[in-house]
Amino acid sequence: MNHYKFRLVKDRVAFLLVHLSLTLALIPLFSVLYEVVQKGISTITIDFFISPTPTVGEKGGGAANAIQGTLITIGLASLIGIPIGLMSGVFLSEYSEHRLSIIVRFFNDVLSGIPSIIIGVFAYALIVRSIGFSVIAAAFALAIIMIPIVTRTTEEALKLVPMSIREAAIALGVPRWKTVVTIVLRSAKKAVVTGMLLSIARIAGESAPVLVTMGYWRWWFAGLDRPAANLALNVFVFAMSPFESWIALAWGSALVLILLVLGINFAVRIFTRERY
Amino acid sequence: MSRIINSGLEELSATLHKMGELAYHTVLAALRECVENRDAYNEIREMSEALVSMADHVEDRAFELIARFQPVASDLRTIKSYMKIAYDFARFGRYALDMSYANQKFGGIRNCEAWIISHVKDMGEKTLSMIRLSIDSLRSHDSQLAEKVTQMEEEVDKMYFDFLDKLIERADITTRCMVSSVLIVRYLERIADHATYICESIIYIATGKKVILR
Amino acid sequence: MAPKFEIEDLNAWFGTKHVLKNINMKIEENAVTAIIGPSGCGKTTFIRCLNRMHEITPGARASGKVLFNGLDIYGDGVDPVMIRRKIGMVFQKPNPFPMMSIYDNVAAGLKLNGVKNKKIIDAAVRRSLELANLWDEVKNDLNKSGASLSGGQQQRLCIARALAVEPEVLLMDEPCSALDPIATAKIEALIRKLAENYTVVIVTHNMQQAARVSDYTAFLYLGELMEYGPTKQIFENPKHELTEKYITGKFG
Repeated sequence: MNHYKFRLVKDRVAFLLVHLSLTLALIPLFSVLYEVVQKGISTITIDFFISPTPTVGEKGGGAANAIQGTLITIGLASLIGIPIGLMSGVFLSEYSEHRLSIIVRFFNDVLSGIPSIIIGVFAYALIVRSIGFSVIAAAFALAIIMIPIVTRTTEEALKLVPMSIREAAIALGVPRWKTVVTIVLRSAKKAVVTGMLLSIARIAGESAPVLVTMGYWRWWFAGLDRPAANLALNVFVFAMSPFESWIALAWGSALVLILLVLGINFAVRIFTRERY
Repeated sequence: MSRIINSGLEELSATLHKMGELAYHTVLAALRECVENRDAYNEIREMSEALVSMADHVEDRAFELIARFQPVASDLRTIKSYMKIAYDFARFGRYALDMSYANQKFGGIRNCEAWIISHVKDMGEKTLSMIRLSIDSLRSHDSQLAEKVTQMEEEVDKMYFDFLDKLIERADITTRCMVSSVLIVRYLERIADHATYICESIIYIATGKKVILR
Repeated sequence: MAPKFEIEDLNAWFGTKHVLKNINMKIEENAVTAIIGPSGCGKTTFIRCLNRMHEITPGARASGKVLFNGLDIYGDGVDPVMIRRKIGMVFQKPNPFPMMSIYDNVAAGLKLNGVKNKKIIDAAVRRSLELANLWDEVKNDLNKSGASLSGGQQQRLCIARALAVEPEVLLMDEPCSALDPIATAKIEALIRKLAENYTVVIVTHNMQQAARVSDYTAFLYLGELMEYGPTKQIFENPKHELTEKYITGKFG
């Protein structure tokens, strides 16, 4: 009986510890959310979504140009990064007996560990120096950040598809590449798309590589070879500005950025809901 | 759902029905030979041999079904009983052959007194109808026919003993007639017994109960 | 009737492990041939050599001749993909394609092999499901997920999927090992039905199953073909002492 009581006490203690840790972990998250919402909500007006960055001293203005620029940059980065990451993931999972796969996996791991500013500098050296600060340069840097994420999540997702599913297709006389493209990718669709969305969420908030490749721009999008405004940079630049209205814009941009990332996460949730 | 064992059981059952008809005709031929003036020994021997080889076949198939399909409950009872029934049918053929042999070897009863012939005829008909009944109840797996069989078997038994009593009382019968007729009624009595066994087996298949109808 | 398969000196390896040794046998057309033997004796490898599925495992290779309708499937220039369309396979665990409806599962083989005519596909789906004794149970739920079916139904779905591409042979790798006795009995009855028009080769670790469903039985032991003959003979009167010991449960 004594033993039983002792075990009961241990159980309660462990339970409390776990919940305490959880609360501690949630405090920063919620305080950030609270702070951003509280400070940013007042800036969120219709104007915020339709007007570009105001000039100094100008009343009103918004972050519409930054939202536009961010979406275009993310879109272009995804167009470059997702196909490469997807195909690398397929290669690593489906052709793992290939000698090259060890090398690819190793460099992919290294790539995912490189600080994003270094990737930004790399893009600077490679692209900015020839065509200047531009959306292309930023998208290139962001795509490089995406690739290892998409590769890894795709590989993991495909590896979770049982071998027996592949064999079933191959035994039906379906060629191997077709098996991968139709059956295997389809079976892992949810996890693969989840990986893509999470990689998009990840680059949406990147600021350092964008800063080095695109610089600051407060007008509307003017072409892929020109810079574009960016939400993360709005936060960075405006937060340090001396003007009241610009600081408010920084909070607003931060809130929209958080909502964007949150929205992507919700999309992931909805997408991965059981269909059957 | 059709089960794999069914086709085997159906084949066995079909073979048994063939055997039943053949056994009936074998006994019928032997009886005719007794009361009419004709020689059917070779014909009866062929039919009897066919019955024996069919019984062998049933036994082989039954063992195969047991070895391959792990029959249980009614399936198992059916297979076991089919083997016994096949043996009973083969016995019909064997007794028919023995009757024919008595006709050949000891002269038969064709030239005996009319009452002997008519008695054998009556008893033969009764026995034949028992065979028919056993074949019918095999077809329908009808255990209700059992009572009827018991009654008929008793009648055949009574006819058998009455006949023996009569023979003992009468002093005017030739030894040849005596020996032939005793053998023949004895074989008929045995056939009736086996027809009863068949009905016992059918009751066992249908109910799982082992009954003795004699 | 010419045999469906004539196997001559078939050897198979996983890396350096020699798993099939000089197998020589003929497999009859429109009959069920069962492969039995203790675990690891090469049963599964053997049937995977018959449709060239063995070689998709990294490090696996095979040598020898496997004549299918007289054509050596290991011969030069033979496309394994075409072989596999003629020789279907059903696996140990039911493996319907996830994220696909019952209809799509059965249609998958045709669609992926380029059939586009909806009428042809509809007819093939129905025919295959009927042949697999599944149509009546799923005809109103063709758009439900294949994974929503019971284990036994899933396995019949997999059989229907294999039948949809109209193979001549059906290889079955312990198709009932994950199923309960009733589902097993249904599949066994189905196998007997299929044997009227298809050549079936079934691997089973259940000797009674081999006895029940097959016309011919092959006993493999340590990668060698110990005995092969009519099932009745193997189970009533085996020639080889090892076969006797194995089927009577004295080892294995």
